[in-house]
Amino acid sequence: MKREAGSHDGAQAFIRLASVTKVYRRGDTEIVPLRELDLEIARGSFVSLMGPSGSGKSTLLNLLAGIDRATSGELLIDGRDLARLTRDELAAWRARSVGIIFQSYNLVPVLTAYENVELPLLLHDLSRRERHERTMAALETVSLVDRSSHFPRQLSGGQEQRVAIARAIVANPPLLLADEPTGDLDRASADMVLGLLERLNREHGRTVVMVTHDPLASARAGLQLHLDKGTLIDAVEGAGGARKP
Amino acid sequence: MILLRSAALSIRMLLRSRVRATLAILGVAVAVFVLCAERAVHSGITEATAANERDTRLIVYRANRFCPFTSRLPERYADEIASMPGVRSAIPTRIVVSNCRASLDVVVFRGVRTDDAARAIAERVRLVDGSMPAFLSRSDAALVGQALAARRGLKVGDRFQSAGITVTVAGIVDADGPQDRNACLVQLPFLQSAAGGAQGGEVTQVEVEVADPSRVREVASAIDARFASDRAPTTTRAEKDFVARAAADLVAIANFAGWLGLAALVAVFALVANAIVLSLEHRTRELAMLQSIGFPSRILAWGIVVESAAIALAGGAIGACAASLTLALGRFSLGAEGVLVEFRPSAATAAAAIALALLVGIAAGLVPALSAARKTIVEGLRDA
Repeated sequence: MKREAGSHDGAQAFIRLASVTKVYRRGDTEIVPLRELDLEIARGSFVSLMGPSGSGKSTLLNLLAGIDRATSGELLIDGRDLARLTRDELAAWRARSVGIIFQSYNLVPVLTAYENVELPLLLHDLSRRERHERTMAALETVSLVDRSSHFPRQLSGGQEQRVAIARAIVANPPLLLADEPTGDLDRASADMVLGLLERLNREHGRTVVMVTHDPLASARAGLQLHLDKGTLIDAVEGAGGARKP
Repeated sequence: MILLRSAALSIRMLLRSRVRATLAILGVAVAVFVLCAERAVHSGITEATAANERDTRLIVYRANRFCPFTSRLPERYADEIASMPGVRSAIPTRIVVSNCRASLDVVVFRGVRTDDAARAIAERVRLVDGSMPAFLSRSDAALVGQALAARRGLKVGDRFQSAGITVTVAGIVDADGPQDRNACLVQLPFLQSAAGGAQGGEVTQVEVEVADPSRVREVASAIDARFASDRAPTTTRAEKDFVARAAADLVAIANFAGWLGLAALVAVFALVANAIVLSLEHRTRELAMLQSIGFPSRILAWGIVVESAAIALAGGAIGACAASLTLALGRFSLGAEGVLVEFRPSAATAAAAIALALLVGIAAGLVPALSAARKTIVEGLRDA
């Protein structure tokens, strides 16, 4: 089953998966979290991935993030075949092209909000002043300039996740991947984080792919993809949107 | 540039983990302190006992005696030795020690004739405070070695008592040899009378300077042959050989202490490795996150090695400085049977200890660094 999400006629897909399968072994058991998956996602889409535990949505996110490799099939992002990249090239690609937002924020506890956000920029050839400007701009985007000198333990869960979002966007990557970004948040904080993702998608043109269990969060996306047993079973356009054929 | 930024980041993160960093650095500092102390003892032993071809000094001792309390030679032996071929000078010396056993604070009184004291001042020691006239003007005057004066807080004009003998400090002297730096030079007749017993006309040893270094063995044999049939037969040895035999127990202890030095290095390795491994166990997810945002695994490994090196370097520097300061201020010397071995701290020893600690620290960080770098990002994110 092939799905094309948010692409316009004639436009080349930003993300393209062709017959992607992921297999790994646990002891004597062979596990296939993704099976012959075909998928295309257009640049500038906001896509949510839903499905029960074990459906393969986190595995798919890991493949898109370049932190795991497909066992077979082809995965191209912005025309680049990730399977052909060496480990170091993949790391360099991640630093330039993708921002990842985790459920549990994954901030470094001994670094301030500012230092956490600045981390990805340490890999770029930027002066201290340029790093400062971009870090402050990212913090401005998530409305946390006044918390820049705070350590993660001094922030609320919602603020921590906003710092994580600032870290994800500071290097200006075209692709944002979020793994249950609202899973640990109360409703108000979750709304704020989702609003931020929407804004980054709408106003800054970032392609956002978000894994979630929360139907309300999923409904904020332009397209909801449903996975089960490693295959794509359905695609629904966001917030009451029409079901795609 | 990325390497520098990554190193700075690692050090910043280490400094922010104050308890972990402090404990690890303190542990390394203690180990390096022990290493430096051991090296200082070793260096002192080497200085006191390692002979070289330019040595010209002999010690004439009573045959089959090994303690200053039992070695008694007629004072006249010195004059007879002085007239022998190849001998430049012979100083009859009475030795009285405050403690015959191994001790860290032994006072060794060396009683010499006044004219010999003047010769000693000229040849072996340098007067750094006080004066010779002051020494010659009163019978209980003493020229105190600089190390002993520093250890006991003595200055010119002070009176001090040890081994039941009270002397007045007439001068402070420095010397190249540890025996002179730690001794208290007094007039021979005074010491012969102050030490008690019917020992007038008797000395403990004769210190002989040979004119030609190549004839040291020949002169020693000649001296022993000369007195072989006298009432007090002698055994004559090169000074450093004499010190090595007298301080054989100290040498054995120092050799054992060498194992302590090795153990200190193993402790540095274990402490740094333990600090890094424990730290990484709690930072699996953090490292995976750093990889996920683009840090290459080799940069992460580099950061971990920088962290272990920083712990070792800081601990090494603190331990080496503390040891150097303690040994320099304490001016410790280990005495046995009247001979003294100084603890000799030096900048070279401290630098070598710091370098060793750094190397061991880097080695200790390598395995955990490589292991962490080999872990896949997915594993790291799942393990936390």
